[in-house]
Amino acid sequence: MMRAIQSEGEEGAGPTKILYSANLSHDRLTQYLDELVEKELIKEMDPESNNRSYLLTEKGREFLREFVRMERFSEAFGIEI
Amino acid sequence: MQAELGIIRLDLLFEIISGIIALMVTYYATKAYRLTGQKRLSDLSTGFLVLSAGMFGRVIGTWYFLAREPSDVVFGIVTVAYGVSRIMAYIIFVISTRPIHREPQEYDNAGISMLLMATFLVDPALEVIAIFFLVIVVLQAILNYMTTRSKFAWYVLVGFVLLLVSHIMMAQVGVAPGLYLLSQGAQLLGFLSLLVMLYQAGRDI
Repeated sequence: MMRAIQSEGEEGAGPTKILYSANLSHDRLTQYLDELVEKELIKEMDPESNNRSYLLTEKGREFLREFVRMERFSEAFGIEI
Repeated sequence: MQAELGIIRLDLLFEIISGIIALMVTYYATKAYRLTGQKRLSDLSTGFLVLSAGMFGRVIGTWYFLAREPSDVVFGIVTVAYGVSRIMAYIIFVISTRPIHREPQEYDNAGISMLLMATFLVDPALEVIAIFFLVIVVLQAILNYMTTRSKFAWYVLVGFVLLLVSHIMMAQVGVAPGLYLLSQGAQLLGFLSLLVMLYQAGRDI
């Protein structure tokens, strides 16, 4: 989900885009989006608007960078995460 | 005698550097485990921790041995403890790096414990046992590299191959004592390869 949001850059990613990229049901998507917002990893671009879009926060970008590092490390030993 | 002491000191220096790198891999694996919850990373971390504990134990034990009157008992304990710790670490590597396409199996804790305990029973052939388990680890690393073709997997493969070479050399020390330092050098190079992997994997995208 965070990768899908990141791939949209400063434009922000809408729920439909995230839903298809992450291959999630609508219920799960809503649940995970709320969780990510609560953890301040993503933020809603304009909460007042009808068209919801999400952006990574600085904390989210750092988390994703760290996750990629750990992914490379695990891959080096043949461990799937 | 001076030359022998020099070789032993150099060997200990190599061992300390290798032990520090093993601790760095432990730290990284623990960090990855906390972030992802993948149990195998925790096993990998335990393996490198056991390996580094054995290395530092050997360094401390050898210093003790050198500083005091040579004692066959202390030397014997240090050698066996070092060999056993390495074999335990390699068994854990075999488990944690096993190919991912297999059906996940529940660990048979009793079986693993017996396997680890069994290493205590075979004292003269510790190097051969270590070689046996490392061959499996290397084969798994080859499979992983063939699957992913990633440079990180390549560094790990090189690291494990060099560790295997170091054990093969160590097993020949009885007939060719000169291989002792070469073996330690190969081990150090193996850990340096892991260090390069850590550096490369930790770099920003």
